[in-house]
Amino acid sequence: MRRFLGLAYLTPYIIGLAVFTAVPFLGSLYLSFTDYNLMSAPRWSGLDNYLHLFTSDRTFRKSLTVTLIYVFTTVPLKLAFALFIAYILNYRLRGINFFRTAFYVPSILGGSIAIAVLWRYIFATEGLVNMAIVALGGEPVNWFGDPTNALFTITLLRCWQFGSAMVIFLAALQSIDKSLYEAAAIDGSSRFYTFIFITIPLLTPVIFFNLIMQMVQAFQEFNGPYIITQGGPLKSSYLLPLYIYDEAFKRFDMGYASAIAWVLFVIIMVLTLVAFWSSKKWVFYAGDKRS
Amino acid sequence: MKLLSTVAAVALLGTAAHAETLRMSWWGGESRHVATQAALEVCGAKYGHTIAPEFTGFDGYLEKLTTQMAGGTEADIIQVNWPWLPLFSKDGNGFLDLNSVSSTLDLSQWSADQLASTTVDGKLNGLPVSTSGRVFFFNVTTLADAGIAIPTTWDEFFAAAEALRAAKGATYTLFNAVKETAQLLVTLSVVQATGKDLVDPETNRVAWSAEELAAGIEFYARLVETGAIRSMQDDAAAGNVNLFEKPDWANGLIAGSYEWDTTYSKYADPLAEGQVLQAVPYIRPAVGTIDGVYRKPSMMFTISRNSAHPEAAAQILNCLMNEPEGIDALGDSRGIPSSAVAAARLAEAGKVNANIAAANAIAMAASGPNVSPFNEHPEIRGLFIDTLEEFAYGQISAADAAEVIIEGANDVLAQFD
Repeated sequence: MRRFLGLAYLTPYIIGLAVFTAVPFLGSLYLSFTDYNLMSAPRWSGLDNYLHLFTSDRTFRKSLTVTLIYVFTTVPLKLAFALFIAYILNYRLRGINFFRTAFYVPSILGGSIAIAVLWRYIFATEGLVNMAIVALGGEPVNWFGDPTNALFTITLLRCWQFGSAMVIFLAALQSIDKSLYEAAAIDGSSRFYTFIFITIPLLTPVIFFNLIMQMVQAFQEFNGPYIITQGGPLKSSYLLPLYIYDEAFKRFDMGYASAIAWVLFVIIMVLTLVAFWSSKKWVFYAGDKRS
Repeated sequence: MKLLSTVAAVALLGTAAHAETLRMSWWGGESRHVATQAALEVCGAKYGHTIAPEFTGFDGYLEKLTTQMAGGTEADIIQVNWPWLPLFSKDGNGFLDLNSVSSTLDLSQWSADQLASTTVDGKLNGLPVSTSGRVFFFNVTTLADAGIAIPTTWDEFFAAAEALRAAKGATYTLFNAVKETAQLLVTLSVVQATGKDLVDPETNRVAWSAEELAAGIEFYARLVETGAIRSMQDDAAAGNVNLFEKPDWANGLIAGSYEWDTTYSKYADPLAEGQVLQAVPYIRPAVGTIDGVYRKPSMMFTISRNSAHPEAAAQILNCLMNEPEGIDALGDSRGIPSSAVAAARLAEAGKVNANIAAANAIAMAASGPNVSPFNEHPEIRGLFIDTLEEFAYGQISAADAAEVIIEGANDVLAQFD
């Protein structure tokens, strides 16, 4: 009986995983090969959805491009910023715990609708940002009406939510053996070189972890563009999750929406595998024999 | 006294024996939520039913309802937008055929035309709550400040736009036109020129030629070029914000819009102290041409085909629409009621907001072709608005935009052949 105790503990989780994750996951795979409008039974359509997606859907191509630009700008920016702030907060300064908390707060609030609404006001024509630009003698910028700027505001919103990545970086920085820094100092290493050749290599496992997590989250971004720009103008901030939502719940094409969702899943999976494959070359773990 | 209490007790027992628990879903603003909950309370008490309210704003309501309909978990009584009928009930079986509960529901309060508008394949899928149309609203305070008379023709409109900017400065614009409103102004222009709705009911295809639609799109361009409305670029600078939430609207810097008559309060309430919003007759190309009104059953109440208690739901529906308790509680929260008895009772009691009544009278009196629900099909509307945006940003010519819209709309319409 005792040997089944572990299984008994796991059962609720396994049931939850099966019912709320595995079944919808496989269900959406099936639906992606069907024509399903919610009001009538799914009708098998083979590869039609995927063929249309890759051969004649201009919106998908635009949305995919926008999504890739968003992910490849947001993730590095956010990681760099999180590491920068974590590095500063690693110093023993007066009131440091207050600052650590203060910098983490945006991450708690960041994904909320309220913050997205606030962001909309900050970057509006007469918003805070333009007021600052005008005060500095510049011309106000059309952040949301200009297709070249709209995505940038969404990117900044995501970067602003750097707290969780920062906390992980901070924990990793604090776990680095101080004797390594002492040895470097004795050898006359500058702060910059110490950071590049000691801190960064020892942080690579955490950088790798944050990279994967942030990349997956960035591919799923929805609230920001939905509330702030509705994907516009000219679909310049129309990320794939918005397109999936519109196809599913505005055009009632669940089959097509599922196909887009699966393409997005495959993209995330491939990029994750590439990251894992490349990690052998740039991620260093404790006890690693590479030199 | 004793006899009375005995009768009351028996009556209570009688209703309690059939007491059901129902759900009702609707969208709306704060005043509608308050009025509907009050109405459900009095109607529920009258028949001994308990009705759980499910209400939200308009945004997201369609998505929620669609998910519920797909899962068969929709509320017993549902507020449905009329253009959604083809989506949910292509063959008339999406909702309960209300003819089946006509012994409870007094259908004689609606005209044959009104009932026909919500009938699909001979099945009465809903009851029109009110009929509404787009009307021109102007901030008459701003116009008076600038010494401008309310325009009645498009020539006067463009002259007024110029006069307003000259009098008050370039930050003032005469009119608003974004997203659906921009689309409906293009539609208005084409309807006024051709007398035809977007969809030809005979062929179930777009009734306009590419040239006719292109002329409508050029009309939109003229609105921007003359400064009568803001460009899409300038308007988008505020982000995804509704007109009534914009400070420029509240302060009278945007002096008018083309909105549903029923939304008068939504647009009038945010105006700054002393500003007055007024519905005015249709602006037309010239005296004697048609108004081109975009008028439709604004929404309908229906009963779910999956309701376990259709008779109880019909009792509540009848109470809301035809019985004094429901009529008084709902008031004009959904515009002027389509139910004859409700309209008469509210008018008699003076319970209709005079501004809403005036706006509704303009919409009802205006001339124009019958409007197809496909005007608001999500795919057709999305295509129209997206293509118009491409035109506004200089990505596509008016002629090409017209071709794209007509071709895409016909593809959607073909699915309903």
